[in-house]
This record gives sequence, C-alpha cells and structure tokens, in this order.
Amino acid sequence: MIFILLFGYVFLVSPAKAVDIIINSSIQVNSLSRGTARAIFGMRLLKWPDGRPIKVFVMEDASLSHIAFCKEVLDIYPYQLRQSWDRLVYSGTGQAPISVSSEDEMIAMVASNPGAIGYLRRSIVNDRIRTIPLH
Amino acid sequence: MIAFAQYRFIDNGHFRYLLWLFKTFLILAGGVFSMCASGAEISENLQIHGFASQGLISSTHNNFFGPSGNSVSTEYTELGVNFSYRPHPDLQLSAQAMSRRAGETDNGSIRLDYGFIGYNLISTESTKAGFLLGKIKNPLGFYNETRDIAFTRPSIVLPQSIYFDRTRNFALSATGVQFYAEHTNDSGLLSFRASVGNPKLGDKSSEYAVLGGDRPGDISGKTSYLGHLMYEWDGDRLRLAVTHGKVNSQYNPGASDPFASGTFSFSPWMLSFQYNTEKWSFTSEYALRESQFSGFGPVLADREVQGESAYVQGVYRFAPSWEGLIRYDVLYQDRHDRSGERNATLSKRPAYFYYAKDWTIGLRHDVTPSFMLSGEFHTIDGTGWLPFEDNLGSVSPVRRWNLFLFQGAYRF
Repeated sequence: MIFILLFGYVFLVSPAKAVDIIINSSIQVNSLSRGTARAIFGMRLLKWPDGRPIKVFVMEDASLSHIAFCKEVLDIYPYQLRQSWDRLVYSGTGQAPISVSSEDEMIAMVASNPGAIGYLRRSIVNDRIRTIPLH
Repeated sequence: MIAFAQYRFIDNGHFRYLLWLFKTFLILAGGVFSMCASGAEISENLQIHGFASQGLISSTHNNFFGPSGNSVSTEYTELGVNFSYRPHPDLQLSAQAMSRRAGETDNGSIRLDYGFIGYNLISTESTKAGFLLGKIKNPLGFYNETRDIAFTRPSIVLPQSIYFDRTRNFALSATGVQFYAEHTNDSGLLSFRASVGNPKLGDKSSEYAVLGGDRPGDISGKTSYLGHLMYEWDGDRLRLAVTHGKVNSQYNPGASDPFASGTFSFSPWMLSFQYNTEKWSFTSEYALRESQFSGFGPVLADREVQGESAYVQGVYRFAPSWEGLIRYDVLYQDRHDRSGERNATLSKRPAYFYYAKDWTIGLRHDVTPSFMLSGEFHTIDGTGWLPFEDNLGSVSPVRRWNLFLFQGAYRF
C-alpha cells in the first residue's frame, strides 16, 4: 500500500518537462542567477547589461505554467509575485509585467520584442528565442 | 402622493450618494476606457491601472464609517485610477487620482493620491539608487503605501492600531523628495528609503486628533521626515522592516480661538515582520508612537504622550483563490496608562477611550483575478481608534462592540 502511494506521489508530482526561461535571442546573456531572475520577474531589475529595457511577459497567476515557473525556477509562490507587483503598481514606484494568455502567445511576444523575457514549459526551436539556464 | 413620494426619494441620502458614486466613477473611469478596453499596457511603456471597492458595514452601538451602529452603512467606497510612464528604464512618471468615502471621516472628493517623477542615478544588476520628486506615499510599515487598494490589504480594514483611519493624513503621504537605495544578491534584497516633505493636513480629522474637535483655526503640515529600512530574504520568504518618522504640524488659530498657535509632532518607530509559506503568511507589526504638543496655550498644556500598538496576524490560503484571516490587534493611547484610568481621571472621559483590543476573523474569495469578495468580523473592547466624527451624537460610544464588514472589490 505504501509503495503504491509513494509511486503515485512521485508519478503525480513529476512534471513532464521543467520550465525554462526564454529570452529574445538578441539579448547577450547566457545564464542568470536565481537572485537576478527574481529581481527581473519581481519587476525591480529593469535593464539588461547592455542598457536596453527588460520587457517581462508572464502567464496568468493560476496557469500551470506560471505556478510551475514560480515554484521550480524562482522558488517562490505566485501570490508573492502578485503582491510585489501590486505594491509597485499601486504606489506608483513600478510597473506590472505584461500578461499573455497562452504559451503560443508567449512565444510570439518574446520572439517579436527585443529585450523580452518569459518562460515556457515545452521545448522550442526558434531562431528568435533562446532558452537560458540559472547558474 | 406621488409628488410626496418623489420628494422623499430625492431627499434621501442614499439617492444623493448613488448619484455621487455614479458621477465620480464616470469621471475617473471615463478617461481610461476611452483609451483602452482591457487596462494595463496601453502603448509602449505606458500603463494604466485602477480599482474600485464598495463596503457594507454594520456594527453594534458604535458607528464606523457612517451610520453603521445597529444599522447598515454603505459609506465606504474607494475608487482610483493611475498611470505610469517609463520612457527609459531609469525614468518613471506616475500619478494616481482617487476618491475615498469613509463615513464622516472622508467625503469622497477626487484628489491626487500621488504624483511624482522617479529617476535612477545608479542602476546595475545588483544595485539601484535614485530619487522620487513630487507627492509620494509614505513607506510606513508594510501596508501604508497601498492602504486604499482592497486587493493589497489582508483584510477589509487594516489593523487600526497602526493604520488608524481616523487620523490617517499624518502618515499617508508627503510632497517633497524621497531618496532610495537597494541592493540585491542571491540571498535577498536590502532597501533603504528616506524622505523629506510636507504632509497634507488641513482637514477636520486632523483637528479632532490633535485638539479633540473641529476648531476655528487650521492645522497645516510642516517639513517632516521618514526613513524605512527593509530586508527581504529568499524571495520574500522573510520580510523585516524598520520605519521611523517625524511628522510636524502647526496650528494657525482662528477668530476667538481658545488655542494659541501651537505645534504638534508625531514620531512613530515601527518594526515589521512577515514570514511566508505556500499556505500561510504570518505578519506582525509593532509601533511606538510619540506625540508632542507644545505652545497651544493654557487650554492644552505642553505634553508628550507615548502610544503603543501591535498586531499579530495569520493568513491561511486553504484553497485556490480562498483565504482565511485571524488577527489580534491592540492599541494603547498611552503606554504608561494601559488601562486608561489615569487619562480618564484627567479628561473626565471613560477609560476605554484610551485603548482598543480587536479580535478579527475574515474570509476572502478571489472570484476572478480582478474581482474579489470578502467579509470579516471584529469583536472589540475599547474605542481607542473609533472615528470621532462618526460618533458625535448624544449617545456616548460603548466599550464592547462588534463590527461586521462585507466588501466587493474590482481592479484592472
């Protein structure tokens, strides 16, 4: 019985594929630290090392991709990001990320916006988007 | 008969209130919806956001935000719209217009909540420093900067011991300059903010707070200071903050005024703690509040009072888009007289005017990401933060009272 439960647990929580951070391929960055990724998606770090503005794309708070991205990549919870964005937006000290409604839209937006960053659960082969790891 | 009924209807406060609500919302929202249908990013680097909330309040005996005592008050409405424009990553312009109705303490007039220009003098991957110039919300504790936006609050009304609504203007915002510096690394974020500016006072509630009533003269803000140091560890898992401020004001007497031109200053020290897990958020804040009165003449002798406030709060996210709240909140007007007895003897008012102990439970449901419903129940011993202006009738406020609130809130 315990074995069945354990097996079920492992099977259920193992994601089919890890979430990857994607960036527009014009950005000359090869990896990010977790702290930097948190600062970018927390809307506190606003420009790339070359000075160009960072444009952050996210999916809806309740989407599986967003939840997995927060937990697996940033190691935080979606409500924490939402609270950080709200503090910036309603005190005037920052802006919110741009929301997309599907992974297809995410791919399209990151591909067409220089300076764009987002995330994806599926593999992508596209010469206008690159996947970058955390270091 | 018809004429009489019509007259009664038009004369009814609710009708005028609805008309006001409609008009205000139209003015605030009109401009926005003509520019966009969905809110948020309007064009490159320009964002528009807004919020609206309406409360229903009922209480036993004492009034809180309108005639809620043994009745239902609808006089708790918050409406606002803001824009932010970032032409360059280091430059941002922001402004928010809002209207707030809160019983007799706030009349719903449209005002500039904040409006400033911000510029980063230094911005690298790990360090940012710069300034804001204009009308800026004060970073007091965790909630003050966004205190009027229902979605950012853990409850319908913030813990009143620290975020008291009856004299909110002393701590709300200031027109001046704020300097900020923050440093990020893999373990966390350290930030410091310091501001110099003038608070906007000059309303009735400030006079009630300082001089115990609506007086012939006016209170105006003088140069004031605020510092806020915060450490956020491991992506907000642990958040710690220290805030210290000194808010200065001056009373300019009116004709045949019993009070001379005195000064009042309010200097809070505040410690803030929050620990976040997937299901729970534990928050606690403590404030030591020093008030100084000087030069008001024989009617109000020079004095210093140290007030003390604290709350402990747990928020439990028990299902997706549902959360529960439990909080204990306590306020002492004079920390050297927690029972209020000494102040009661001096002022000939009841001792329970000088403290308030509030147990709160609440429930919140985010129906959609932009629409939320919440309800909460308070059981309170003492009237230490009860709004003065809502309770001016001949019946004195009672010591033990309950407060029920229900709220619908929208944002974009």
